[in-house]
Order: sequence, then C-alpha cells, then structure tokens
Amino acid sequence: MPSHDTIIQGTDTDAAVSRMSAVDLGYLEDQYSRFFVQAPAMGAAVRRLPIINRGTYTRTTALDRLIGSFLSATDGQERQIVSLGAGTDTRAFRLFNKESQAKLIYHEVDFPTVIARKYHLVRSIPALRAVIQRPGSIDRTHTWRDEDLPDGSQYWCYGLDLRDLSKPDVTPLAGLRTDVPTLLLSECCLCYLEVTEASKVIKYFTDRISCLSSVIYEAVHPNDPFGKQMVSNLAARRIRMPTLEEYTDPSTQEARLRDAGFDSVHSLTIERIWEDWISPDEKERVDNLEGLDEVEEWSLLADHYSVSWDDVGSETDYDASFMVDSDYEPSRDSDSNGLVEQEVEEYIRASGMLKEELLDDVDDGEEKSSNADTRGPGAVFQISDFGLKAVADKTT
Amino acid sequence: MSDLDKAIAQLRACRPIPEAQVREVCHKARELLIEEANVVTVAAPVTICGDIHGQFHDLMELFRVGGDPPDTNYLFMGDFVDRGFYSLESFLLLLCLKVRYPDRMTLIRGNHESRQITTVYGFYDECLRKYGSANVWRYCCDVFDYLALGAIVLGASNTLEPTNEATTRDDVEIEVCNADGDAISHFGRRGKAGGSDQGSLNGKTGRTGPPGSGASGSSGGTVGNPAGAVLCVHGGLSPLIDTVDKIRLLDRKQEVPHEGAMCDLLWSDPDEIDGWGLSPRGAGFLFGADIVKMFNHRNDLSLIARAHQLVMEGFKEMFDASIVTVWSAPNYCYRCGNVAAVLELSEDPGGQGFFSRSNGDVGRSDGGVNRGVLLDSDDGSKRGPARRYRVFQAAPQDSRGMPAKKPVADYFL
Repeated sequence: MPSHDTIIQGTDTDAAVSRMSAVDLGYLEDQYSRFFVQAPAMGAAVRRLPIINRGTYTRTTALDRLIGSFLSATDGQERQIVSLGAGTDTRAFRLFNKESQAKLIYHEVDFPTVIARKYHLVRSIPALRAVIQRPGSIDRTHTWRDEDLPDGSQYWCYGLDLRDLSKPDVTPLAGLRTDVPTLLLSECCLCYLEVTEASKVIKYFTDRISCLSSVIYEAVHPNDPFGKQMVSNLAARRIRMPTLEEYTDPSTQEARLRDAGFDSVHSLTIERIWEDWISPDEKERVDNLEGLDEVEEWSLLADHYSVSWDDVGSETDYDASFMVDSDYEPSRDSDSNGLVEQEVEEYIRASGMLKEELLDDVDDGEEKSSNADTRGPGAVFQISDFGLKAVADKTT
Repeated sequence: MSDLDKAIAQLRACRPIPEAQVREVCHKARELLIEEANVVTVAAPVTICGDIHGQFHDLMELFRVGGDPPDTNYLFMGDFVDRGFYSLESFLLLLCLKVRYPDRMTLIRGNHESRQITTVYGFYDECLRKYGSANVWRYCCDVFDYLALGAIVLGASNTLEPTNEATTRDDVEIEVCNADGDAISHFGRRGKAGGSDQGSLNGKTGRTGPPGSGASGSSGGTVGNPAGAVLCVHGGLSPLIDTVDKIRLLDRKQEVPHEGAMCDLLWSDPDEIDGWGLSPRGAGFLFGADIVKMFNHRNDLSLIARAHQLVMEGFKEMFDASIVTVWSAPNYCYRCGNVAAVLELSEDPGGQGFFSRSNGDVGRSDGGVNRGVLLDSDDGSKRGPARRYRVFQAAPQDSRGMPAKKPVADYFL
C-alpha cells in the first residue's frame, strides 16, 4: 500500500498529464511540458476531457497573469518566486526562456525524489539544459541549483518535506533571500497538508520576508453535492485535502490570507475567472479547439476551485480592474495615487528614509478624511511596497 | 431461448456480445428504425428517460425503479453513450430490447449519437478497447443515423395511477417518488383547494412555476387525448422549426450536422431569456419561455420533455411547466453528485390507446388557427398530463453482484 506522501506525489503526475493534454490540443503553449510526462504504456498521448483541458487552461492562465503582474511590478529589481510542491511544473523554464525576466530567483520546493527526478531530466534533456545550463550536483540537503543564469537570475530546487518548514528547528532554504520582493505560490500543494502545518509553512515565509505576496490555487465548496462527491472520490484514491474542510469557499480563503498578514486579498473561483478574465476572442479560440458540450458540468467543476491572492500586480501593463472582482473598490484615485507613490519611491531612493515614516507623511497629507488605514486597498499601493520595502530593508 | 434473448441476458450481466452479433443486431435495428417517422408517436402509459451516458449500472437501477422492460413502456431521449465506462453495453442492451420489443421501447437520438462527438467523449475509445477494432463503433454509428429525432406521446392521463398509496388523488398534477416508489411530495393543480403540500418544485419559485399553471394547460386537448400531447426531443426547439410537421419533413438519416434544424433539436437548451439566444455549447440555440409557449400552443402540445442538461435534482420544470428537463444519469460521470429521474405518464382510461408508430400524428399542427388566442382563459383545471417523477440515486458499486470497475473521475490535483 503506497503511503499518503507517495499518493500525493502521484497527483503531480496527474497534473503533468493534464498539462500535456492541454498543450497537445492547443489550449496552452508550453514547449517543456512533454519532457515531464513519462511515455504512456499505450504509446498514445493521454487526452483529457474538454472540461479538464479548459480547467487546466484557466488555472494556468490565471496564475501566469498574476505572476506576470508581480514580475512587471518588480521589473528591474531583484525578486523571487517560491513555488511550493512545484513537482514537474514547467513555469520556471517558461519564465527563464523569456528575455524580459531578469534578476529572477526562482525556488522550487518538493519531495527529494521529485526534485532529484527534475534534476536528472534537466541534465539529460538538451531543451531543458539550454535553460538551466549549469545545474551542478545535488548536495547533502537534496538541493541543486544554477546561480548563474543569464541576467542575474537563479534557479533553486530544494528536496524536502514541506512540513519541515513548519517545524521550529527548520534548516533555512539556502538560497532564499529575505530582502527582495517575493511571490509565494501554492498550486494545489498546501491543500494536502494539515491546516496548522499549512499555516506554519506560510508563516515561515511571512516571518522572514517583509515584502511577500502569495497566490494559492485550491479546491473549494466541499459541502454541496458535487463537493461531497469530490471529497468521497478523492478519499477512494486515498487523497485527503485538510484545508478544504477549513477554507470552504473564496471568502474563507480570503480570510485565511488576511489572517496570515496579507492585504488586499481576493479570491475567485475558476468559473468566475473563466468568465471575467478571459477575453471574448480568447474564449472563442479556446472553445473552438474541441467544442465543449458539458457546460453544466463545467460550471460545477470550475465552481469547486479557487485562486486566492493578495495584490501582486501593477497597472502598468494592463487594467487591474479587469483582474479583480466587481466588488473591488478603487477608493483611491489610482492615477494621482500612483504618481504620489512614484514620487515617494524616488524620494526614498534618494534620501534613504524609512518607508513607514514617509508613507505616514503622505497619508496625512493626501488622505485626511477618506482613509484612516494607511494601507488602503488597491493594487497601486501594494505594488509600491515591493520597491519601498526592498529599499527600506536595505537601509536598516 | 432465442439468440436475441441470450444477447439480452448477456448484456444485462454487463458483458459485451461478440462482434458478429453486434453487426446482426445493428442490422435488424436499422430495418426497424428506418420505418419509424422522424417523430414517433407513442401511446401512454410511458416512462420517459433522459441521458444515460454509458452508466450501465445506473441503467439497471433505472429499470429497477421504473419497472423492467417490456412490462414498462420506455422512451429514451438519447445520449446513451459517452462519458461512462459502459456505453457499449448500455447502448447494445437498449438496442436489443428495441429489436425484441419494438413497440415497448422508443429510442430517439441525442447529440452524443454522432461519429464526431463519440470520438471525443469516449464511446469510440471504448469500442476500440473492448473489440480491438473500430468495427463495432461503425455499426453503432450507422444505427445512430436512423434513430428518430423526437416522439409525441398521446393519450396521457391528467390523473395519476396510484403507486404505493391506497387512494388516487385526482387533484395531483405532479408526484415525486423515491427509488422505493414512496411518494415524497405532491403538487396539486392550480385553482384546486386543499393544496396544502403544494410548494415550488426544485426549490425555485418562479423558474419552475407552480404546477398546473399557465402553459401546462394551454392545450385544450383533443378526443382521446384529454391532457394534450407531449413532445419529446433530446435538446429542444429550433428557430427553423415552428411546427412538429416540419420536423417530419427533415432528412434525418445522416450524421448530426453542425447547424440547421436537426442539429438544433439535439443541441438546444431552454433558458431564462426572451426569444432566441446563442448557445454556449457552440451548437444549437437557447430559447426562452415565449418560444416554448408559442410552440406548444401552435402544436397543441401541453408539454415538451427533453434531456441534454444535467439537473442536480434529476428533473426540472420550467416556464410554467411548459417544458421539463429529465436527467437519468445519477452521479453523472461518477463525479457530479446529482440524483436522476424518470418521468412517468399514465394512460388515460378514456383514450383510444392505439396510434401508428410509423405515420405519426400528421396534421395535428394546424398553426393554431382554430385554437383561439394564446393563453386563453379557459379555466378547466384538469389540463396537462399528470406527471410522476421517480427520483433515484447511483447504483451502489457492487449492486446486483455485478463487477464494477472502480471509476476514476478527473479532478484538478
């Protein structure tokens, strides 16, 4: 009987096959996904059902978009992404392959066997080796890395049990910086941990990194008929998602992030993201790939997954109001505010002043009556944090 | 025991029959179906079923709940195949029953009874896996082309025959039964006193509408057909079809086209809109209450029964009970957690009880010219057929001693 850990590792194979299916059919572009799918016994590619392909597409597109806004908000600075339970995810390769992603430190954390397998694939497959040119060797702590990627980027892979990060005597992640804007990513990973363990893993990062954002993709709505069946079917495969029982819907997912110390939190179901984030043209393109007859089943399935995040993005490359739910209230005028923040940032850079002092000044001046909370909602404010905090940390 | 009876017994045990026998059964079925009209006329009593989708063990549960064929007269509204693991056994069993009891089994075509759709949604792969070649899939697809596009149920009663209850309640328009045949709720006709247990079906007022109101009574009924006729079709209506007779004029013996009247009948959905709308499925249309009521009035129909859409409660009446969705695949795809239902219409004791299957009921649509205005205010309370929904859940995995592969449903992990 395989252990629960082995079964959870198996979920990564499942995800890799789903990704491959979506790529094969043209939903997604990913030149690396095929290297991470073991050749099926039958020799033929596994073709997932259209609703699964659409779900894989929507999930990947949503995360790409949030990560893209983090990267553009931190453009020009050093910044890092920590991907928990990354498994066979190809995102790092896709990002490093883009010329614009300079000074990006990408960390992946997963079980030692998973990390070792990825290492051997990178060493043996030229297309992967072309991205990660000097993977070195796996060290005693099951870590391997390439610190000399072009444009000051780095790639770190840590082979460890994530739950170790929730322990007090944890060995720190060797390459993790605490002084640069960081995006913490959990794509169906923390859900397999006990609730307290999952919280402590997030706390590991919030304790160390002042300029932290997060994106969490997880199942929700376990208590309706579809959700009950999902829990029961997964249990039959001996898969349990403890956080699903705790964070049952997007609002509790938001509360979870808020409790962890994040601001301006949002959570949307995959169904909402498909409806609201995917442009009509892109919807038409995707729909035409296979046709999707199972519209009711899609609504059910897509309503049972959510993406939760705090504001990671900027309005520099696209309209942020497109990104967030309609209940999002841009209570600050984003144009003038953005300008103020920009000035503040420049001033800090010049003067080396601490950010909090300065922001207090600004808020006193600009926001006397409208907003008692100096950390008001809105993407613009948070974005500036990336720059501001990084500077602030260095000056202290 | 004839070869056909042996095949039925074998399929009932969820074991595929040999390829040569499939070929023979499909050939016989085609000879039968070619004689049927595009719109088959069926006499009540009849049990109307929605999508099955290869969920063989649930089809067995359906027969347990609804009564075994040929004792029960069945009308299946298509989508026998795809998605489930036993499309082959499910479809072949229904087809063998059709050949064995042609007047007791009516099969009409769903949008999944198509070459193109079955290659995406599983039936093609299943045939390949079970026979090692696509021959059986080809034989089945050839049968699909001959399936009728719809059916008209005549002679349905506007009162229910009693089930487990001692007395008949002739004021009951809708009864919902559980899988054991116990009535779990009743809905009386509008205008009758004493509808104490009358509520909103499916928990949604407005959408479902109080039974017996509006269009369920838009048909005055005809001799031998006091409750009005019921049109059964897999998907719904088409902007190109304003009378049932126009369905009869289609050349149906072909692969389901990507557009046009035949496509629409198999792909369209009712929706809370006015008029017609674009379908999110990329084929067929959405149609609103006004379309349904106009169509029913013009064609002397009291109800349209259709399938095609997953409804969590197994059935869903819409637009003042002028149209109902019946869904017969419980826990659809082993994942959706829904219950299933079949719709029973009982026989009107005063009905004539015989209608030709092949000729249909030609000439019944007179364009509404002799029917007065739409939604006339005639307040006769016994209009529209009385409907009994038998609601059932997925068969237990090890039910009836049959081996059931443990299904693996896809999730995002």
